[in-house]
Amino acid sequence: MDQIDTPLDADTHLIRHRVEQLQLDYVHAIDDGAIDRWPGFFTERCLYAIIARDNLERGQELGVMRFESRAMLVDRATATQHAAVFAPRTLCHVLSGTSIEAVDENGIRARTNVAIYQTSADGDTLLLMAATYRDLVVEADGALLFKEKRVIYDTLRLPDSVVNPL
Amino acid sequence: MDGPQPDKGGDIFAGTDTTRVPFRVYEDQDIYKAELERIFYGPTWNYVGLECEVPKEGDFRRNFIGEREILMIRKKDGGISVVENRCAHRGAQLCQALEGNAGETLMCPYHQWSFTLDGDLTSMPFRRGFKGKGGFPKDFDMSKHGLTRLRVETLNGVVFATFDRTTPPITEDFGDHMVKYFTRVFNGRKLRVVGYQRQIIDSNWKLQMENLKDPYHAGILHLFLINFGLFRLDQKSAYYFDEGKGHTVLMTERGTESDEGDYGGVKVAAPDFTLTDHELVQPRKEFGDDVTLAIQTLFPSVIVQAQSNTLATRHIVPKGPGSHELIWTFFGFEDDDSEMRTLRLRQANLMGSAGYVTLDDAEALEFSQLGLAAAPDGAAAVLEIDGKDAQSGDCLVTEALIRGFYMRYRDIMGFEKAQP
Repeated sequence: MDQIDTPLDADTHLIRHRVEQLQLDYVHAIDDGAIDRWPGFFTERCLYAIIARDNLERGQELGVMRFESRAMLVDRATATQHAAVFAPRTLCHVLSGTSIEAVDENGIRARTNVAIYQTSADGDTLLLMAATYRDLVVEADGALLFKEKRVIYDTLRLPDSVVNPL
Repeated sequence: MDGPQPDKGGDIFAGTDTTRVPFRVYEDQDIYKAELERIFYGPTWNYVGLECEVPKEGDFRRNFIGEREILMIRKKDGGISVVENRCAHRGAQLCQALEGNAGETLMCPYHQWSFTLDGDLTSMPFRRGFKGKGGFPKDFDMSKHGLTRLRVETLNGVVFATFDRTTPPITEDFGDHMVKYFTRVFNGRKLRVVGYQRQIIDSNWKLQMENLKDPYHAGILHLFLINFGLFRLDQKSAYYFDEGKGHTVLMTERGTESDEGDYGGVKVAAPDFTLTDHELVQPRKEFGDDVTLAIQTLFPSVIVQAQSNTLATRHIVPKGPGSHELIWTFFGFEDDDSEMRTLRLRQANLMGSAGYVTLDDAEALEFSQLGLAAAPDGAAAVLEIDGKDAQSGDCLVTEALIRGFYMRYRDIMGFEKAQP
């Protein structure tokens, strides 16, 4: 029998479980259309960016969205609700499992694949993007929050506008 | 005239003045095909890219003119060549990667025919056959089997190409005024690509062009702009045409609006809405004038956007009558300081697929296509705001720029010319 060098680390399981629950709560809030709850998943100073993988591979940080504070996320949420014109739609995020890549003094580095489907008022569904969440998660007052969330998408030629946060 | 005649109806513009655009031009397959031939592959300068995208010898970047794929390549002598991305042998796509370095030759992966960076055929395997059998005929003339080579001109780092031998030189095609405003942004400083965005928008390509020639909508649809004074119809403004009326530039100065509370009857959903983070809408002056928004449309396929410090080319790639791709190349300058680099990234939130401003546009264009696609024959768009003419002016409540577009369009397509 193979010898088990390191006993299974209960903490790692717990961390993965908690981060996956955070991801689910996050995407369900978006899929439920509760955009006003979206900024609450982030720390006050944070980075939220939706960036094409193609740009990143060239070292370009240009994103479809790029916000550097919770205040900017609040602005985006408010503007989407009150100062934007778009056809109604719903999103459906389908997540893979989350891998915990590192846990250190900066927080938890986590990676999760995501397929985001979008459905129009007429009921037509399209795949908006295939993407990966690259996250830095920290704990504050007993709750997990995103300090960084990068949505890195493969779908270079997006089939539609990105109205909602992803 | 010899305009496209998709059916017995003949010239759909016959007898119409500048204020009507038959909806058929946005959905008819035959008209679309004629547009590709007469406009995109005809005597026009099409946007190809920025020279800084291919800095080193052998660098290439793949792009489109109309539906035809092209490669922009940096040659040995430092110049730029543009060739069609289609092998002269059996028509296979030569380069599959979006960009890369081809070395000294372009080689088709299928049968390894090789071409110079200018598109001349240089070699193919088994040219003399095998053991005296097979191979090419002795009189096979390699000089007649190069890649389709386009005429290329660059203007301060921006590359344009044309399929047509008769297209006048680019400065002549643009005219003095258009060159003047083009070189306001492309002022000779070395360019730097900030990043790309690409999106499919399900509307006819012309609607994209028209949208940027329609200041009337910008002061109504874009509540975000109106709220923050980034664009208001009562701002100090000016617009100009070239002689052919297909190219235009439109500029406004922020801070010159008359009264913060006067929205000209526009229904503003939340007039009290303010940003908690104002940095997004704080531009830095960079072109030595007070213009805060300049939009130049160059017939037929590119828009140069300078909104605050977010600079971009928007390249239109038609995908059938009912769809197009919009490719945004956000750029800055090599000597941008770190603050400016941050500003360009941050202000990009205004533009692109999720842009505070442009997502409204993409949506409205799709509403247009959905609405007009089922319109009965003879139905037409109405463009009567601010007269019937297309002359330079300073009032943004106008449809003159769109009327100008259709003057050029009718002319190049061979439809009946419209006199205002």
